[in-house]
Amino acid sequence: MASTTTRLRVDGEVVRDWQEQIRCFISENFFVDDFSDQDSFLQTGIIDSNGMMLLVVFIEEEFSIKIEDTELLPENLDSLNNLGRFIERKRRGRRSG
Amino acid sequence: MCGIAGFTFPRGLPGTARERCYSDRLRRMTASLYHRGPDAQRACLRDGIALGSTRLSIVDLAGGEQPMTDPATGVTVVFNGEIFNHVELRERFREHRFRTHCDTEIILAAFLADGIDCVNEFIGQFAFALWDPRDRALWLARDRVGVRPLFYAQTTQGLAFASEIKAIFAAGWLAPVFDTEAIQQTIHLWSPVTPRTTFAGVSTLPPGSVGRFDGRTLTIRRYWDLDLSVVDEQVSEKAAVEAISDLLIDAVRLRLRADVPVAAYLSGGLDSSLICALAQAQLGGTLQTFSVSFKQRRYDEGAFQKKVAAALKTAHHSLQVDDTSIGASLPEVVEHAEQVLLRSAPVPFLHLSRLVHEHGTKVVLTGEGADEIFLGYDLYKETKVRQFWARQPDSAFRPRLLTRLYPYLPLSSQSTPMLRQFYGIGLDSPGTPEFSHQIRWMNSGRITRFFADGFLEQVNGHDPSQALIASLPPRVLSWRPLARAQYIEMQSLLTGYLLSAQGDRMLMGNSVEGRFPFLDHRLIEQAARLPDRFKLKGLVEKHLLKRLASRWVPPAVIERTKFPYRAPISEALTGPSAPTTIQRLFDRAAVDRVGVFDAGKVGRLVSKLASSSSLPSEADNMALMAVASTQLLAEAFLEQRPVAADRVEAVEMLVA
Repeated sequence: MASTTTRLRVDGEVVRDWQEQIRCFISENFFVDDFSDQDSFLQTGIIDSNGMMLLVVFIEEEFSIKIEDTELLPENLDSLNNLGRFIERKRRGRRSG
Repeated sequence: MCGIAGFTFPRGLPGTARERCYSDRLRRMTASLYHRGPDAQRACLRDGIALGSTRLSIVDLAGGEQPMTDPATGVTVVFNGEIFNHVELRERFREHRFRTHCDTEIILAAFLADGIDCVNEFIGQFAFALWDPRDRALWLARDRVGVRPLFYAQTTQGLAFASEIKAIFAAGWLAPVFDTEAIQQTIHLWSPVTPRTTFAGVSTLPPGSVGRFDGRTLTIRRYWDLDLSVVDEQVSEKAAVEAISDLLIDAVRLRLRADVPVAAYLSGGLDSSLICALAQAQLGGTLQTFSVSFKQRRYDEGAFQKKVAAALKTAHHSLQVDDTSIGASLPEVVEHAEQVLLRSAPVPFLHLSRLVHEHGTKVVLTGEGADEIFLGYDLYKETKVRQFWARQPDSAFRPRLLTRLYPYLPLSSQSTPMLRQFYGIGLDSPGTPEFSHQIRWMNSGRITRFFADGFLEQVNGHDPSQALIASLPPRVLSWRPLARAQYIEMQSLLTGYLLSAQGDRMLMGNSVEGRFPFLDHRLIEQAARLPDRFKLKGLVEKHLLKRLASRWVPPAVIERTKFPYRAPISEALTGPSAPTTIQRLFDRAAVDRVGVFDAGKVGRLVSKLASSSSLPSEADNMALMAVASTQLLAEAFLEQRPVAADRVEAVEMLVA
């Protein structure tokens, strides 16, 4: 799971892990809070196509990773679960590389 | 001739009692429509009927007083709008002994000759109420696409009607209460589903309809509807251009008929430029044009407006709108519009009609309607691409066409798989009636996440898009996808929003009458019979109209990319220039009091928009506008204000 460096304080509370962190970001920016880890952001209308851009920028900055154009894919980005797997893979890749 | 109101009541009361019971109500209703007709406010009480009119004199300035009665039968009419072919109809009904030169009298003559089917003869934009004492029936009628508004409500005494909802409330029988489902519908679909309105108990007479109230029941019948099912595949494109050209020139000719000067709105786009060119040619060089420009360049079309005005040699007037003036006039705009707004685009139109009014002009031509009739909107292209894509859902190429349509899509959404996630909604069922509007409705539907829990409980289970689909005539459902999209667009966006909240109300707010050549029903019917490929050629919108316009307007206007008309929202409502009257709308207590939106989420939205340095998203802008306009509607209507006493006093009661 996420290392301590990715922990974030929101309203004075320590956010436990990356998933909560992204959930917070989505809820703060798109005003939705009742969605599951598997829900497609785009298909369920949680985020629109412009919102996706904000999410990509947020993830790049918060998790110190760079997302290539070829990685802009639903299986990487379009649900909390997909994002989780993607970020872990990216971070592992960075540590080993 | 521009505001009407009235009501039925039980017959048989002696004159004095009638006067005592109903006169004040009628005066208040009439006075509340003063802005629609500042030239005269007159009303009359007869046995069982009250009729009021506020008049903007345009045809037969000296004659044409309303309510107008046929002396032989007692048939009496109040009328808002224009019958443009009144000159020709006068000839057709020459057996009638005309006393005026006004088109109001044409309605009487035509009704006496043909009954209510006379509406089929009218080329025009009209809403009228006609009392026939012979069978004690009240007739209500509205033009084919709903350029002119007409509302009605059942009262304890009978039926009340008016050009605007505020007049119905002014009568005092009905307490203003939000229709919660209609509010939710407006937020999804841009307008309530006909015949509903923002307020419970108040309905709109559907466009192209007549209604007869017999004292108990209002029976409504459609006399005209858009038919897109029959396409003439044999016609050549050249012949089609000529046919449309002839009709459009004639539509402009009829709409220049007035006893006062007729000016025109000029947006700088194709449609209004073409109308201005045709009008200028017919007027021989005396056309005045009016435009609105914006301080922020991303909204502004000023350069094109100047270019067209110079090319057409019109006397051009323009007005610059900034954030402060948008915020400051929003309360007035919402009071006129009488519905929830998702865009601030109506606001500049109220400023523009003020400019027209200040120049002493009462009538303007506008280019509204061309996008609906000649397939100008991106929505039609989106429908075409999505239908094409649905035939080969796995195609990598087909969804890429969307990036041609929306070149500003962020890179993160441009890969085929990402496009599939967002624009692929409903791709497995392209035959459903909502297919064309699914993306738009999902975008606007995002606003519902700001609803308060209590409000969500009230609208529990209501599905606005299904309500709209259920309201469509069944035959529409079997039409081809583009035709279905066009029908839905004309009903929900054109009639329900563009012609009303952004059209009639913003014009009449400053006593200016708009005239819409593209909405001449002969032109609509002709265009409806043309193949789609003449209108949307590949992904080029309004192809046929562009060919026609190339004869009249500078090439730069025809070649330019379609520029969506928008106005600032969050900059005007949350920035430092936002007036305190707007800022306090978003206060927790104010939002809680109205109960439609969640005060916590509204607070977060406002602070996000106020603190963000980047451009606000479309979704956030629409949500903010929905909240502001809902709060303003509550202020203007739910806490009812009395009609100004001097205006009530000024209404002239005609002696029967």
